[in-house]
Amino acid sequence: MLSGQRTNGGNMHDYDDDVDDEVLASTIVEALQDDGEYDDIEPRSGSLQLSGDDIQQRLASAAQPLEFQATLGARFASYDNYCSLFHFILNSDGPVDLELPTYYWAWDVIDEFIYQFNSFCIHRNNVARKGQNEEEKQLLRDNPQTWGCYSVLNVLYSLIQRSQMNEQLAAIKRGEDPNEVAGEYGSRQLYRMLGYFSIIGLLRVHCLLGDFTLALKTLDDIELNKKAVFARVMAAHFTTYYYVGFSYMMMRRYADAIKAFSHILVYVSRTKNLGKNAQFDSITKKNDQMYALIAICVALCPTRLDDTIHATLREKYGDQFQRMQRGGLDTLPIFEQLFNSACPKFISPIPPDFDKPENNIDPAQHHLACFMSDVKNAMLGPTLKSFLKLYTTQDLHKLAGLIDLKPEDLRRQLLVYKQRSRQTRWSEGGLLEGDIVNTSDLDFALEGDLIHISEAKTGRKLVDWYLRNLARTY
Amino acid sequence: MTTDATSRPQHIEEILSGLDRYNPETVSTFQDYVQSQCENRTYDNMANLALLKLYQFNPHLTRDETITNILVKALTVFPSPDFSLCLHLLPPNSLIEPPIDSFAEAVQKLHTLSNALEEADYPHFWATLDSDDLYADLVADCSGFEELVRLRIAMAVAQAFREISRDTLESYLNATGEFFDGFVKNICQWTLDGDKVKIPLNKENEAITTVTREVVKIEQFSRVFKRAYEQPC
Repeated sequence: MLSGQRTNGGNMHDYDDDVDDEVLASTIVEALQDDGEYDDIEPRSGSLQLSGDDIQQRLASAAQPLEFQATLGARFASYDNYCSLFHFILNSDGPVDLELPTYYWAWDVIDEFIYQFNSFCIHRNNVARKGQNEEEKQLLRDNPQTWGCYSVLNVLYSLIQRSQMNEQLAAIKRGEDPNEVAGEYGSRQLYRMLGYFSIIGLLRVHCLLGDFTLALKTLDDIELNKKAVFARVMAAHFTTYYYVGFSYMMMRRYADAIKAFSHILVYVSRTKNLGKNAQFDSITKKNDQMYALIAICVALCPTRLDDTIHATLREKYGDQFQRMQRGGLDTLPIFEQLFNSACPKFISPIPPDFDKPENNIDPAQHHLACFMSDVKNAMLGPTLKSFLKLYTTQDLHKLAGLIDLKPEDLRRQLLVYKQRSRQTRWSEGGLLEGDIVNTSDLDFALEGDLIHISEAKTGRKLVDWYLRNLARTY
Repeated sequence: MTTDATSRPQHIEEILSGLDRYNPETVSTFQDYVQSQCENRTYDNMANLALLKLYQFNPHLTRDETITNILVKALTVFPSPDFSLCLHLLPPNSLIEPPIDSFAEAVQKLHTLSNALEEADYPHFWATLDSDDLYADLVADCSGFEELVRLRIAMAVAQAFREISRDTLESYLNATGEFFDGFVKNICQWTLDGDKVKIPLNKENEAITTVTREVVKIEQFSRVFKRAYEQPC
């Protein structure tokens, strides 16, 4: 298990330019080993004549990370490799009889496949936008289908369908035997695992494309809990919650986002305390990103966090967190900065326009703009709240004077506050389900110009503390 | 939920639940469906997002008018995040200022409207809507647009107010005189009292102070009890 996670951790990628030295070092070593293989494989040929020895090697290499600075040639070759491998797995006569190199292999392959797709799209967009390298430009222009969005989705959906994964998961949910619906393919470990992780892969791809609704819908059949299959592979567990939390955040379901991030961050922090293992080093980056996201969510929807998370959050983003919680338009740059550092590397599904570089806007910029217009409205919330907290009733005009707002603007802000505090929150069923609830501990009602303020107080929670201390004594 | 799945026709449901949602040939089906939503005052966000995704994948099939219609429909369900979710699926250059083409201009105009609604600046919303003929063109296809938005504003008001002055409410609803009286009395079922409008209590405008106490279950102490039996002092 441990060694498994270590390799696995090594595969977690750094999407940023400033690659962790450590990760980079290990990726380069692996990529160097890969390079040799790419040379003697002719693209799109002999895909079905894989023999026993070769296939094991192929399987292993498919899960190996590609060098960060890989040339276009290597990226193309890698795409062809994946195509032939998946073609072999999906379109042979009957199911392929293969031993999985490791139980986490399937995750590594899907993870790497999507990572390479993601970085290829970003690279392509950069080339089109900056347009210095004419040779690369031409090559990309000539091969619009390579790493195409449709083909990537096709692979993921085919793997899911072949393995009857959604049917199997639905059967498990109903408490039936999944083997009855698994069919010839789905009953085999290879297809089952690939199918399962392809669902997580879809979640990720949809999120990268900005379709957060569909991203969450994809997980309809997967139950999010510690017993889920993905929880057995640390990186998968981690990735799933990152994308689920992020999608919720983009749907303005901050309470659900906070719950998702908290779940995984608590899990990681506990596991960490069991012993500082090397495998966690490479997860650190994603971990930090999730702290940034949870800071954003809490600023937009004040929530009491788990003590450990709160402490770490203050340690990592103390200054920003505090300022965001205070609100005000001058904190917008902090939201922007944290969002940029923590969002997934968004991509556009279509090849860029190579002839008009100015038309190729970085998709991340677009998603940031959409997100920021959501955030902007909520900026007066904290100030408003801090004032309202002081009274049980107050006159609108008087309060407006105190906050230095026009009375009609204050009325407007109160309406915004009311709307913002009503969020859809999950209670059961698919991830998109939920009921509209009041997520704020402070509520109010206007009777003409008189503001009635109410507070939902939580009595002190003592049992946990008591039990914890009691446990210490024995 | 804003997605009204009950009124969703069978053939749309089938496309949405299968892989046909990626099939460019379904574009026209979805477009017709948007058209029917506009005419029949129904709304199906899932289907609309699926169409936007098809456009995202196949830009050559894009019909600007359908996209703006989808955005206009999304305005009628504020304060749900649907408008913003649709924006995410549009071409990345559509929010760049100044607008690069007439489509981007239309999107940005609708974005302004959406912001006005999100900021609860309803008088500004109505003023903007009236300020330019382009707005009238954009919302023309959506039957009962003003009525639908007015209803949503009334819902937002009912969440926050127990009583509101007539002037303010008139400016929020962009309605005056008899029309205003009729809307408030018959559709909202609120009462007029001189220059005040009284809104009956509901779950959202009650604002009752509550104290939630910790729920303690006996199971939480199971370890303590167990311990007591295992190791009697």
